[in-house]
Amino acid sequence: MAKGVIGRRGFAAGLGGALAFGRPATARTRYVFDQAVGRLEFVARHLGVLSSTGRFEDFAAELLIDPDQPLTTHVEVTVRTAAVALAYPGAVDLLRSPAFFDVERFPEARFTGQATGEGTLARFPLAGDLTIRGITRPLRMEARLVDRKRDAALGRDVAEFSGGGTMKRSEFGMTAESAAISDEIRLVVRVRIII
Amino acid sequence: MALLVVLGFAIGLVMVALPLTQLLAKIIAYQVHKTIGLLVPPLVLWRLWLRARRGRPPEDPGLPAWQHSAARLGHAALYALLLVVPVLGYLSASTAPGQIETVMFLLVPIPHVLEPDEASYETLRAIHQVLAWSLVVLAAGHATVAVIHHRRGHSVLAHMLGR
Repeated sequence: MAKGVIGRRGFAAGLGGALAFGRPATARTRYVFDQAVGRLEFVARHLGVLSSTGRFEDFAAELLIDPDQPLTTHVEVTVRTAAVALAYPGAVDLLRSPAFFDVERFPEARFTGQATGEGTLARFPLAGDLTIRGITRPLRMEARLVDRKRDAALGRDVAEFSGGGTMKRSEFGMTAESAAISDEIRLVVRVRIII
Repeated sequence: MALLVVLGFAIGLVMVALPLTQLLAKIIAYQVHKTIGLLVPPLVLWRLWLRARRGRPPEDPGLPAWQHSAARLGHAALYALLLVVPVLGYLSASTAPGQIETVMFLLVPIPHVLEPDEASYETLRAIHQVLAWSLVVLAAGHATVAVIHHRRGHSVLAHMLGR
């Protein structure tokens, strides 16, 4: 249900958005969401044929978006690194360790992105900065409107967005297990918001 | 067949014991174990088909009837375990919450038929483990009895080896 539930904060922001829609062109709505309505996952490859998917169970995201003008979108996501989850025995301890997220020294990771002005609502790039272990590197992600449909019960539209990008973990000082875990890690964000 | 069982079993013990600090070895060990496991049932079915078509090797008439019955029972259990243990292994890999894919020979991806589910995984894995031990113990008994017959001058071992 994580993806299906609209959290209270998101819902309140959604209502604010409805008011804002009265003024076109400046109708950027602020949505705040977290793990209750969104998912934040990362996918690593092993030996080129296997993959494993982890997620963060505690994050806060702020999205400024006008569905009619997605190319002005701004997004900011803050992740609590200790909330890393991967359903494999011992994997969480490994990921929290100094060789990876080093959660004691770096309790947070962050992504800040801004639409570049290219693309359409269906698919548009976000250029931004990713900060992990105190190291900031530019990261380009691609946002997509996966689905938008009328929710009869709410009498409003519910939009499902996804974002994806690929980072190199070595750029953030995570070089351990380079034979077993790919350097490139795919990031995937999903969220459902009421618009 | 015996070689595959012994290898699969030994790698199974090692792969579980390997710490995550030896991640590469652990990943490879799991995939080799899965590859061996997936090879066994088709080979067993092929063997059963050959057995049905050509019949079993002749029984040694010098053995008492109870030993023939015990052998038949043991063989049936061996065949059943050779089929069931890999299937349970495959199902527990399917239901594992970690969702590690199965790729035969690190080349051929094998889809998982069940959804990840912690409770079913725990059950399936436990049965897989117990039956794998049963299979190895039974196979060791099977080999020991064959050697004992051989030492007593019976032709059982020679027939098992196709002579």
